[in-house]
Amino acid sequence: MKIKINNKIKYLFVAAPILFATSCKKDFLKTAPDTALPIEEAFSTPARILSQVNGVYAGVKNGNFYGGRFLIYNDIRGEDFIVNKPNGVTNLDTWRFNVTSNTSEVTGLWGAAYAAINRANLVIEGVTANAGLITPALSRQYIAEAKFLRALSYYSLLQLYSKPYITDNGTSLGVPLRLKAEKDLTGNDLKRSTVSEVYTQILKDLNEAEPDLALTIAATKASRNTAIALKTRVYLTMGNLASVVTEANKIVTATAPFTATTGVANKLETSIATVFGGSYVGTEALLTFPMTELDAPGTQNQLAFYYNIESAGGNQEYFLNANGILANSAFAAASTDARKTLTTAVGVNTYLTKFKKPSPYTDYVPVIRYAEVLLNLAEATVLSDPARSIALLTAVRQRSNPGYVFPAADLLPANLKNTILTERRIELLGEGFRSPDVMRLGAGFLAKTGPQGTAPAIPFNTAGYIWPISATEIQNNKLVTQN
Amino acid sequence: MKKLLQSLFILLFIAGSAMAQDRTITGTVTGKEDGLPLPGVSVKIKGAAGGTTTTADGKYSIKITSQATALEFSYIGFLTQTKPVGSGNVINVSLVGDSKTLSDVVVTGYTTQAKRDVTGSIASVSGEQLKNVPVQSFEQALAGKAAGVNIVQPNGVLNNPPVFRVRGINSISLSSYPLIIVDGIPVFTGDQSSNSAAGNALGDINPADIESIDILKDAASSAIYGSRAASGVVVITTKKGKQGSTKINYEGWVGSSKAQNLNPLLNAAEYVQIKNEARTNIGLAPAFFLQTRSDGTQVETNWYDYAYRTATSQNHALNFSGANEKTSYFISLGYSNQEGFIINNSFERKNGRVNVDHKLFKGVNIGANFSYSNTLNRAPNTGSLPGSSFNTGGLGRLAFVLPPNVAAYNEDGSYNVNGSAVGLGANLIASNYPNAAVLVNEDANTSESDRLISNAYFSVQLLKGLTFKTNYNIDNLKLDNNVFVNRIQGDGFAYNGGATSNFAKNSRWNWSNTLNYSGTFGDHTIGAFIGVEDQYTKGYGYGATRQNVIDPFIEIYQGAFGAITPAGLSQYNNAFRSFFSNVTYDYKKKYYLTGSFRRDGYSGLAAGREYGNFGGASAGWALSEEEFYKESSLSKILTRVKFHGSYGLVGNVGVGNYPALYLYNPGLYGSDPALSFSQAGNPELSWETSKKADVGINLEFLNGRFSLDVDYYHNNIDGLVQNAPQAPSKGIPGNSILANVGKMSNKGLEFTINSRNIEGDNFSWNTSFTLSTLKNEVIELGNNNADLFGVTQLETANITRVGYPVGSFYTVQTVGVDPATGERIFVNRFGQKLRFSFQRATAARYQYLDGPNAGQNAPAIDAALDAQISGQSVPKWFGGLDNNFRYKAFDLTLGLTFSGGNKVYYGSLAGLRDQRFWNNEAGMMDRWTTPGQITDIPRVVYGDNVSNGSAFAQSQNVFSGNFLKVRNLALGYTLPKEFLGKYGISNVRVYAQSSNLWIISNYPGPDPEVSVNGNSTGATNSGNLAPGVDRNSVPSARTFTFGINVGF
Repeated sequence: MKIKINNKIKYLFVAAPILFATSCKKDFLKTAPDTALPIEEAFSTPARILSQVNGVYAGVKNGNFYGGRFLIYNDIRGEDFIVNKPNGVTNLDTWRFNVTSNTSEVTGLWGAAYAAINRANLVIEGVTANAGLITPALSRQYIAEAKFLRALSYYSLLQLYSKPYITDNGTSLGVPLRLKAEKDLTGNDLKRSTVSEVYTQILKDLNEAEPDLALTIAATKASRNTAIALKTRVYLTMGNLASVVTEANKIVTATAPFTATTGVANKLETSIATVFGGSYVGTEALLTFPMTELDAPGTQNQLAFYYNIESAGGNQEYFLNANGILANSAFAAASTDARKTLTTAVGVNTYLTKFKKPSPYTDYVPVIRYAEVLLNLAEATVLSDPARSIALLTAVRQRSNPGYVFPAADLLPANLKNTILTERRIELLGEGFRSPDVMRLGAGFLAKTGPQGTAPAIPFNTAGYIWPISATEIQNNKLVTQN
Repeated sequence: MKKLLQSLFILLFIAGSAMAQDRTITGTVTGKEDGLPLPGVSVKIKGAAGGTTTTADGKYSIKITSQATALEFSYIGFLTQTKPVGSGNVINVSLVGDSKTLSDVVVTGYTTQAKRDVTGSIASVSGEQLKNVPVQSFEQALAGKAAGVNIVQPNGVLNNPPVFRVRGINSISLSSYPLIIVDGIPVFTGDQSSNSAAGNALGDINPADIESIDILKDAASSAIYGSRAASGVVVITTKKGKQGSTKINYEGWVGSSKAQNLNPLLNAAEYVQIKNEARTNIGLAPAFFLQTRSDGTQVETNWYDYAYRTATSQNHALNFSGANEKTSYFISLGYSNQEGFIINNSFERKNGRVNVDHKLFKGVNIGANFSYSNTLNRAPNTGSLPGSSFNTGGLGRLAFVLPPNVAAYNEDGSYNVNGSAVGLGANLIASNYPNAAVLVNEDANTSESDRLISNAYFSVQLLKGLTFKTNYNIDNLKLDNNVFVNRIQGDGFAYNGGATSNFAKNSRWNWSNTLNYSGTFGDHTIGAFIGVEDQYTKGYGYGATRQNVIDPFIEIYQGAFGAITPAGLSQYNNAFRSFFSNVTYDYKKKYYLTGSFRRDGYSGLAAGREYGNFGGASAGWALSEEEFYKESSLSKILTRVKFHGSYGLVGNVGVGNYPALYLYNPGLYGSDPALSFSQAGNPELSWETSKKADVGINLEFLNGRFSLDVDYYHNNIDGLVQNAPQAPSKGIPGNSILANVGKMSNKGLEFTINSRNIEGDNFSWNTSFTLSTLKNEVIELGNNNADLFGVTQLETANITRVGYPVGSFYTVQTVGVDPATGERIFVNRFGQKLRFSFQRATAARYQYLDGPNAGQNAPAIDAALDAQISGQSVPKWFGGLDNNFRYKAFDLTLGLTFSGGNKVYYGSLAGLRDQRFWNNEAGMMDRWTTPGQITDIPRVVYGDNVSNGSAFAQSQNVFSGNFLKVRNLALGYTLPKEFLGKYGISNVRVYAQSSNLWIISNYPGPDPEVSVNGNSTGATNSGNLAPGVDRNSVPSARTFTFGINVGF
């Protein structure tokens, strides 16, 4: 009996090491993903810092924002498009001014724009903290790119969530101005700055960015000329024509052929077809967002999906309003305007086919084109320099229709501005300009009718004219007030 | 293990029996069902000390004194029988199997405990109770079977995991699904499929292999699982061979199922009438027309016919088992091929299992359980899984919205299509919805799993009562997911057809070592064990999406396509390291004390905060064991009274793999590398903790003929981990940060009644009843108690707000239709009533109904500001009532389940009344047409998506969720033994059964037991934050089966 027990005690000696054997591996609980980088490493090499800057571009390029939807919203709020499909997800309620603070367009754009802004803020702080790893010039350039993108994002937010600057010179409520990187639980509450305060910040960012940006860089990145070009847009939106001229003059020669003489040699492409079917990064592009098979806009964000015809891989979500810009003679049967070739009729309806690539829809997204700068400048010089204004207008028109001569009446002082605005609608159709243009001019949105019913007329600054602030912002930011 | 314990108890009973004996009684104990001898049956002498057990051939021999009045025969899994001692010396007994108290022993994970010694709160369900039920996974059959356990089948998609809640929703942002342990290993759970073919990981387990399910509900029972126990622990034990000759069992059934309670829709003529009326009302020309075929007949399409069918299913389970003194084995094979009532929805499982235990030599045991299964799930896109409610191609929705005056097929047999959508027919307005017939026929989603769950153990008895055991387990789950979308219609139209395939491999090992001691010292019984355990889980997945088929014949991923992009990539790992111990003590089976402690370390938590301590304690008092009670007259009727109470701290660590880390994701900007902020970590993130209290009483009347268990529980989740919402303007990825903020409580009462109403040789009647109540309250939330919104893909109908139950409905209040104008009346946040007409200009759509501003324009309803809480989504009470009748060879089972006190949001109804071109429910014919008319359906205005609730959630679509279901009705017949004996068959039972035969409810949708968000724990489509939503979901099934059970 005694021996037996001893034997069993032996077992205990055998068992004890096994019992605790599992406790040996000290780092057993240390795990980390193999596919993501911890924050400590995120700015640790020059290559990663560059990737970080690219990450901000990628943020602005998000499908909910400049990768597609932001442009769509701005175009379909205007009178040039009719919604063809009764699908809430593909922006029916934006078209018919029926959005609420919970509508996915309203919450989606708000979130995407601010996510991009936070990336810009993180890069500004991250580059500053790790400036020693790169040259001072590069560090200034990266910060300038982040500021440029932050400015573009804030400008975009103002166009939908705030009353136009001209309403009251920007004293009405803008959006919360986030200028610090956010990554922890604090700081949810922040009040809306005024429209004017936000524009001041936008211009401050652009002015600071301008000298630090690269003189020349690929058109998928912001160069010095890009910041200047954006300033012409911002000033035009604010109604500050003198500043539009000052800025535009930096990159537009006094007479035709209009070109930029510093930095990137921006000028109009000889053919509009090249702009939407070529490399996308030619001289006309001041900024264009690249799309590739592995970096596509994502489901129901793609311009070509919305506009293009089914036989070309689109979904025919919207067609051109017969009473909109399509009624312009540039699109008439007899027209030889090259921009007419960017539309296609299917049955009784005509569709915009400017964006051509089928799934996964890799058309680059135009952000700023030289043609826009010329038209901005043309509009700003209607009174101050009508001859140059007409020359600029003609440059844009004749690029697509070389033999075209504007009827004299269209160029009369009383009509010139309208002619330029019409040219904008023809030239920039589908590129996200219509709603901001309507709003900065103090106009109302026109009624429109189609298979999905009627979108009512929305007079200037009446209910529905601007979007409500995102419901999730209202819910989580105690200091923000609803429109 | 049960056997070991059983013998231990037998030993205990016979200990200390040394008395004068008069004569010897002998006899044989057999099982009534199969007539086979039962070894190891405890034989006790009533009225005197002493006892024995039966031998391997079921024989016993016992010496009794003259005081002895009767012998009591008890055996695990059988009803105890008492036979009076007469003058004879032979007493033969045949014991009746007891399905209700099959396990006199409960398995608490690492150990087992006699049921009567349990002082925590454990609900046990025997495998027998799950037998023959036409389900894919065992937990679907648990509804109403255990108090405190709520099972909600989200809808009729096969192998869609049920919402499984033990004592309420126990988390807000983390999973509230209980921890499932199968033979010692925490197994993978949840829907593992990456596509529309739901793939519940528990569907890989053959319900016929399950011996018992023990649900550990309170902290004292579950604390041994520490950090993972907050939502309860479900311990599954698979079958083992029982001593005796080899047994062969076959169980098989065939069945047929159909969709039930489909909401009737407008027919073609009604559709044309309503839609044109809506157009006329807003000044538009009619655009909808009936279509006539070339043979003069009119097109009349019931789109339900293209979504649903009458389906057939079959299920077979075959097992062999047996044991001798050294070895026991259980071998099982299973095959299940179930078709769903949704066209092309199916579930096919093949599985095998070998469980072996072997006594190597004295005191040393080894054993292994080895199970393999292959499960193939197949389904169309039903739009009924979390996050897919508003999918354009979701079949549940398509059947609602497609126009009934348009045919599925052209007269030449080709699909009726118009671009990406169904054909126009005679209508002038294009639909954007695809033709359902194309999608169900041409698209395919499959998810196939290969699953290996196995364990091996080695145990050695070191000293008397002291056993060392090492247990190594693995759970390997490989999934092959395949999607094909056709080029004709639906999602694949835009890119000319596409295929997405991915492969995912999940593997887990778990190694535990325990030292277990049990001993009895006079009146003191002590049990104790300590253990260590490591667990490591890793997974990876890869796949791609291909688009643009090169040739239309290509229907699989491997074919030739124009483009390929990566999809379904995943990589993760996590680890647990744990130390635990447990002590149980009782004095004379009268006073009980237990305590458990576990220290868990989890790799996913913040550095320095990986470890947490959890524990629980319980106490019990068996009043009926007190001498004074035994002497009271009450003890004759109320034979057992036991009080118990427990308290403890447990955790929830469903935080994911790396939530504490700040992460940047590499990606692309065009073709350049990009890095972007992808996760805001939390360096202070710790466990979600939950403090649970439980008090209860167990009462048994007439020696267990009738029993009543009552428990009161209070779970205080005071360290809630929440996806704390962040203002979107901060730009934090996902607009949330996981943080320990918030408090919530669940409390309620549980009642379990078991009654053997009538017990006779010819007729018996048993009843079991469970009733649970639940009161959930959110006490504190992050970001200064900011409300949390429950999003169902594109719609927000739920809110989680302090002071209310989690996931309450949050809708804009509607108060009917104005009889004068036929306009929907809304109530804004100021309590003002507003009329709404989509016909008016935007600024004039809302007008004050009454008051000083009557008729004037009012600000538009803003759902975020004007909505209010319109009821709770979590049931306040639920339970089940089972009645089993046996008359001679016939048996009848009637199983009811009930639930209520909650509301259900029937979001589908908003779509069913939408005034775009969508088809509507038949009730739409009652719309307002003339002034003064009283109706709840407003005047139809074309394009109106507000009056019905599509634009934002409204109270008009919130309904009572009360229901009573005839869950199970079965009639069986057991063939006479005399007839079978000749063929070597010991028993045959045939039966006919119906599941979900009848629902009694005021709910206007198909089934108030519904939740499209299921168990999802995402930031959106969360089953915790947005339960009880019925949005574009397929209905549930009514099933009839015919089956046979054969034993050899």
